[in-house]
Amino acid sequence: MKSTRMTALLAVIVTSLLAVFASSVSSAATTKTTTISVVSLIPGSTPEAIAQFNNQVAAFEKANPSIKVKPIEYQWTGPTFAAKLAAGTLPTVFEVPFTDARSLGDNGQLADLTAEIKQLPYYSKYNKAVLAEGTTAKGKIIALPKGAYAMALHYNRKLFTAAGLDPNKPPTTWAQVQSYARLITQKTGKAGYAQMGKDDNSAGWVFTTLVYSLGGRMETGRGTTAKATLNNAKAVTALSMLKKMRWTDNTMGSNFDMGWSDINQAFAAGNVGMYINGSDVYTNLVSASNIDPSIYGLAPIPLAKNKTAGVLGGGTLVAVRPDANAAARAAAVKWIDFYYERPLVDKAQAIRNAKTLVAGKQPVGVPALPLFNKAQYDLANTWIKPYINVPLAQMKPFNTGIFNQQVIAEPAASTQSVYKTLDGPVQAVLTDKNANVQQLLDQANSTAQAQISAGK
Amino acid sequence: MATVDPIDVHWTDSEPAVLSGREYRRARRTPLTWVRGGGLATLLFLLPMLFVFGAFSWYPIVRTVIMSVQHTNLVSPATWVGLDNFRAVLNDPVLPKAVENTAEFAGLALIFGYPVPLVAAVLMSEARRFRGVYSALAYLPVVIPPVVAVLLWKTFYDASPTGVFNTILGWVHLGPYPWLQSQQTALPSLVLESTWANAGGTVIIYLAALTGVNRELYEAASVDGASLWRKVWHITIPQLRGVLLLTMILQIIGTAQVFLEPYLFTSGGPANATVTVLLMIYNYAFGNSLGGDYGSATALSLMLAAFLALFSLLYLRLTRSWSSK
Amino acid sequence: MIVVPGRRRARSVEGSGPALIGPDEWRRARVRWGFGGAQVLLLIGLIVIGLGPLVWLAKSAITPTNDTITYPMALFPHGAAWSNLHEAWSNVQVGKYFWNTVVLAIGSWFAQVFVATTAGFALSVLRPAYAKVITALLLTTLFVPAVVLLVPLYVEIVHPPLIHHSFIDSYWAVWLPAGASAFNVVLVARFFDNLPREIFEAARIDGAGPFRLFWSVVLPMSKPILGVVSVFAVLASWKDFLWPLLVLTNPDEQPLSVRLPQIQSQTSLGVFLAALFIASLVPIIGFLIFQRSFLRGTGLGGAIKG
Repeated sequence: MKSTRMTALLAVIVTSLLAVFASSVSSAATTKTTTISVVSLIPGSTPEAIAQFNNQVAAFEKANPSIKVKPIEYQWTGPTFAAKLAAGTLPTVFEVPFTDARSLGDNGQLADLTAEIKQLPYYSKYNKAVLAEGTTAKGKIIALPKGAYAMALHYNRKLFTAAGLDPNKPPTTWAQVQSYARLITQKTGKAGYAQMGKDDNSAGWVFTTLVYSLGGRMETGRGTTAKATLNNAKAVTALSMLKKMRWTDNTMGSNFDMGWSDINQAFAAGNVGMYINGSDVYTNLVSASNIDPSIYGLAPIPLAKNKTAGVLGGGTLVAVRPDANAAARAAAVKWIDFYYERPLVDKAQAIRNAKTLVAGKQPVGVPALPLFNKAQYDLANTWIKPYINVPLAQMKPFNTGIFNQQVIAEPAASTQSVYKTLDGPVQAVLTDKNANVQQLLDQANSTAQAQISAGK
Repeated sequence: MATVDPIDVHWTDSEPAVLSGREYRRARRTPLTWVRGGGLATLLFLLPMLFVFGAFSWYPIVRTVIMSVQHTNLVSPATWVGLDNFRAVLNDPVLPKAVENTAEFAGLALIFGYPVPLVAAVLMSEARRFRGVYSALAYLPVVIPPVVAVLLWKTFYDASPTGVFNTILGWVHLGPYPWLQSQQTALPSLVLESTWANAGGTVIIYLAALTGVNRELYEAASVDGASLWRKVWHITIPQLRGVLLLTMILQIIGTAQVFLEPYLFTSGGPANATVTVLLMIYNYAFGNSLGGDYGSATALSLMLAAFLALFSLLYLRLTRSWSSK
Repeated sequence: MIVVPGRRRARSVEGSGPALIGPDEWRRARVRWGFGGAQVLLLIGLIVIGLGPLVWLAKSAITPTNDTITYPMALFPHGAAWSNLHEAWSNVQVGKYFWNTVVLAIGSWFAQVFVATTAGFALSVLRPAYAKVITALLLTTLFVPAVVLLVPLYVEIVHPPLIHHSFIDSYWAVWLPAGASAFNVVLVARFFDNLPREIFEAARIDGAGPFRLFWSVVLPMSKPILGVVSVFAVLASWKDFLWPLLVLTNPDEQPLSVRLPQIQSQTSLGVFLAALFIASLVPIIGFLIFQRSFLRGTGLGGAIKG
């Protein structure tokens, strides 16, 4: 493995040297070279994935001889972001979750890319709701989408079979989720249904998904005047349901402090029957947890039969650091266009991208939400069809079901604080048999309201 | 008993200094004589310390006080807010829970970790063989990097029936226990690991102190026919009182700033059952993706420091009569 | 009063010790069985408690993940998985983080020894008139809990005054603050105080300036105290977590203590335990080699701090 990495590294060095050489020969007199640093992959990625990324960089530099790209391993986390921003050590181009982008933009912590982005040929075709995630209250565009997902129900087909359930018929109501979970726990001893319970906001995030699916909302309005509704009737129902699954049915396993990565790992290891996470999580299950593809099943979240019931959507945006100058901004948008956006709208680029992913043993065809419109999304999927290497048949319930579901954005005001506040009640219900659901949510609501009003 | 009052730490300056001696001090002082007398050289030797302490100790201490009355998040310029930060912290609904947990942690750590090392040290100091083995074994957990220890114990605490501890307890038909997964057992679980990780250091301190116990007292007591327990109670413990009192206050000051265990084991959960004061400070300053609330963080650290200072003072006062008996 | 680290005292820690129980008493059956039995129990307890977890870690580091999860106390029900160690080293890159830890420890060690010896020399041997003021300022820092420094120090590293260059992601941000240990300075100065002053006088008469005196006379005489300070420094740096977590945000630069919690959820349990095992191996081996310095240092630290 080491030698592949070395070769890849050598290849990159040689190509980039050539690129520099070529650019200095061809355009030395006319243009100056702009260097930008870009976020590459999360730390701990496989050597194949890193080589794959470096190939993309080489291709980009070849196409844009006046731009030099320096890849930096970086994972967005709240605390390090604030520090890196203040310290000026952010890469020029980095990724931000939907959850934070608008708040950061409103605070002037992301560069204004409106002018550059409006020149992109496909600008007008963006899904308005998705683009809005990267637009500030004053209408400045501060980020472009990398990808969007809807929350989904991931299930273990092997455990379904062992419990005598049909792995091609995932549950479509919450009552079914509960009874299936009971069957799985009875027959296999594993957690029938598990849910993130870590107080790093993930517990609140998944709980919000649950409440949305029943038709509830966590707040109304935007900004500091928004009203918190964490103790709505649907939230009470959802939390009571969790309490029942935990204490009466006892189908949620014995560890309740799992975060995003922990629960993925537990699922990939075959210890979880069903759990909720973003629809694009399969990539992580492959790259970090070596999941056996045959056990994987993906279904839409069961929605209650009412008008407000919907599925929580989210995603990742690509943004630029606020102190980038005009040349760096232009170069950054070119990179975003090349690496993130083109594969979705340009056939040749899409195929090239899929090829490098396959060569790097990375999943191609992971279910996502359209960034433009469904027609464009389907079209792009037909381009890359020969390269799709995920178990598409096992994802069919989701891929057919999701487009009948209403996708609802995350709570707009003080998003992270609302999630954080909700972590408490979820943890309380999972770890205290006598937890008082209504009281917990009432308390959380007043805390969240204070945070919203303070703009935190 | 030779040792042990930190306030007594001072330099004796009765002996004559060597290079910048008194003769120079008495002589008429000009910059030249100062340099010739080694003043410049002395300053050069002090420079690293002055720089490092100035920049990384004295200055930040002053900054803490300033920041606690400011609103500052590194993004927008700092503004003066008076005592608002203190008020905000005192009104934070998490604070009572954090204080309660911290006190409970410190209390449990004393119950678990205070008498056991003493008993162990007394037994070990009388060992006629393997004394080195005893102390090496006791100290081994202290050598393990704390992060490794916590992560290892997190595996032990797996709440499923096939978790390490639950398997062992299962042999004697106990459990399975929820360990970190219950609001009732989470905090004691943290204390248990922390005691495992730190008790060895205390044992070694007691061992060192026990060597200072006057043998003649034991012998005299033996001649008088005193029983073993009487000797321990009337000679060993009183002779160790200085060390005992100080390890106690040091342990309280240490556990009042506990961070690693709650941060890595439970990040304060479940439902704030293990949130501590230091974890609150961390969350104020570094827990928010939109920039830290450094004002509240420094305000809370100042309050904690003030409390510890008062507590130590009171403690030294109350125990003075006993420790100097 | 301060206990001075001397050979006499150190030996007595390991030597015959106090005789709480006289030889006559040992001969009495009740004492022998009661006290002796308690000692045997203690030894067994120490083996189980002190050694048990490490033995389990060593075993699990080479056990397949599934066996560790399902039968944590069984001995290799399905054979050993030596690949865990290899995977931890190459895929999880424990080696790299290990190296970072070493580099951080060396830098912190140097900063501490450098600051403590130079300052101790100036305050204790050269003794300028203003030494008292500086000593007082030093001692006050001993009474300020570490938590007070955390946030302002962090802000200072991010936005240093005067210089407009952040030290986030720079090893200097860990090395330099490590030097600000008043405890070390006090320890070294106390030791210097007890060196025979006639030697300094003799050196001065021989024409040695302060630098010669420091380098060729004082330092060679202070090996015992340098050993103690070094053990403290390396151990503290190896254990440090919160500070490097805050100032070293770039994963490529982080030490093991910061990295291990972050890779936990992306690594299978077997490989992760192998990584933990590797991470604790060096301190354990170091402890076994330098056992005396460790135990003496701790006892001494306790006697002085406490």
